Amino acid sequence: MAEILTGAEILCRTLVEGGVEVIFGYPGGAIMPFYHALPDHPRLRHVLVRHEQAAAHAADGYARASGRVGVCVATSGPGATNLVTGLAAAHMDSSPVVAITGQVSRAMIGRDAFQETDIIGITLPITKQNYLVQDVTELADVVRDALAVAIEGRPGPVLIDVPKDVQNQKAEWKQSHPPRIPRARARGQSPGSIDDGIRRAARLIAGADRPLLMVGHGVILAQAYAEVRALAEKTGIPVVTTLLGISAFPEGHPLHLGMPGMHGEVHVNRAIQHADVIIGIGLRFDDRVTGNTASFARQARVVHIDLDRAEIGKNVPVDVGIVGDAREITRRLLAAVEPRRCERWLEHIHGFTRPPAASPHGLSPEAILSAICEASEARCTIVSDVGQHQMWVAKLYPYRRPNTHITSGGLGAMGFAVPAAMGVHLARPDDTVWAISGDGGFQMNMAEIATMVQERLSVKMAVFNNGYLGMVRQWQQFFHGKRYSCTPIWSPDYLKLAEAYGIPGYRVTDPSELTDAVGEANAAPGPAVVEFMIEEEANVYPMIPPGGSLSEPIEAEPAPAPAAG
Amino acid sequence: MTLLVPRAHTVAVLLDDALVTLNRAVGVLRRRNVPVEGLALHPSGTAGLSRLTFVLKADAVTADRVAQQFQKMTGVRSVMVLGGEDITSEAKQ
Repeated sequence: MAEILTGAEILCRTLVEGGVEVIFGYPGGAIMPFYHALPDHPRLRHVLVRHEQAAAHAADGYARASGRVGVCVATSGPGATNLVTGLAAAHMDSSPVVAITGQVSRAMIGRDAFQETDIIGITLPITKQNYLVQDVTELADVVRDALAVAIEGRPGPVLIDVPKDVQNQKAEWKQSHPPRIPRARARGQSPGSIDDGIRRAARLIAGADRPLLMVGHGVILAQAYAEVRALAEKTGIPVVTTLLGISAFPEGHPLHLGMPGMHGEVHVNRAIQHADVIIGIGLRFDDRVTGNTASFARQARVVHIDLDRAEIGKNVPVDVGIVGDAREITRRLLAAVEPRRCERWLEHIHGFTRPPAASPHGLSPEAILSAICEASEARCTIVSDVGQHQMWVAKLYPYRRPNTHITSGGLGAMGFAVPAAMGVHLARPDDTVWAISGDGGFQMNMAEIATMVQERLSVKMAVFNNGYLGMVRQWQQFFHGKRYSCTPIWSPDYLKLAEAYGIPGYRVTDPSELTDAVGEANAAPGPAVVEFMIEEEANVYPMIPPGGSLSEPIEAEPAPAPAAG
Repeated sequence: MTLLVPRAHTVAVLLDDALVTLNRAVGVLRRRNVPVEGLALHPSGTAGLSRLTFVLKADAVTADRVAQQFQKMTGVRSVMVLGGEDITSEAKQ
């Protein structure tokens, strides 16, 4: 006998059917039918956040750590608009997130009803796809379609806007069947053209004197770790990992050079500038990686392997573009290349290496990160926020396991780490999860400590406190004549804050206190906060000025100059 | 001096006949900040599909980049770029 269900029940059932286990959300008027149906579906664990932005970041963190779709839910109007930053972050970093928003009833749409916003219009440029569900009979297939679209090909966020009356409308429940909504497939490359690309790439590698592998997020998304490592080891080609490619290749491997770009080490950027062949796998040659593209890798022929055809040649000219899955293409390239070594080139690169920059006074980022690594016995996923600490975490933490570095790269959304770490914890309950923030970013979403306490989410929060919005202050120091306009930032007493939430809190002012505080926080059964009082005006070196050439890093505080735009 | 004069490229996009798809398609042009003239939407002759055409005042590389952005959009069925090679001409400064 046909089963008649409400839209809200259909929504829950299709999520369960799609394998969804965790939802981050916040109820409100237009999504109430969904919340009414939710308790009947105990397989869907709902995490009540304190702000919808956190729901989107948490779903993003969950998606990145699990490789599955992360789901967030919000009501119409302000609930939906609060998701926007999180969706934009997921869009920039190719993370599979499905957002479900309530909408005012169909009859009210377009009449500026209470808590009505055009969330479809608002999220068009920051979603891979979005849907306004016009009738309950479409709902199940829309949800199935959305879960598939979010993760297939290059992943990205998808939004489903469900009017309240559609959630209450009734329809016959139909089991999963192939999606009814036809999808035009992005046209890939022809098999012949891929074969040709691989042959040409292999020839370039064979003839190169100074080849370089640049590895990005696509390698993590495709889980092409073994293939990329084998390619590097077979050919002896040194490897650089972009911010989002960090942990795709083991740090400490003799062929691993480090991170390129704005805060890349001098020898890494010099290697790029001297390379005669660059093989880029799963990266988009973002401006933070290339600096001024006109002076980027002028001597290099570029092979670009990416799943998204629109990325090939978008930012830098490409000699050989291969469209496809990083794992599949790298495996085939590995089979096509001849074994070789690049010892002289490696020596050449190591000749560019600078002695390690003098550690900032007192508590150094390096010491803090080693303490975290030791305490967690490297069974740890690091989620970083945005700013100076993000660069220290990217450059100094010794990542050994793949996909253990999660950060907001493309959007650079401050406030990301704390909520994203909640999602990472739920995806990896056996890992220790450290959310590392500055005092600015931490204060953006520290209300989520309440979520952690209520939902028993064990996230260790490190706050690098220098009393400044440090990265902006560094730019003011370098480029704006040390005019520290609006960057000094006051913090509350984080020990009392921790106490107010009933969780352990620690403050570390001296390196001698590191091991105990980090160890205790790490071993505590639930969330904990550790505040690290770091040097106020420490800088991240080296630095390529925005729009500058990778060949011209700033390696020490520049001489005073008049403020520039 | 010699200037690279971008020849106009006509782009024809076959897409789902849905307002949200049209909105997304026009959004691609707006967001990528490409110079467009003569935007027009016509029935395609096939039920459920429309044809969006516009003239892109840009070089072949930009035209190809725009076409790639359309290719990966859900709801887009095909993209055609019409127009010749870029031409160089002598121009006075």
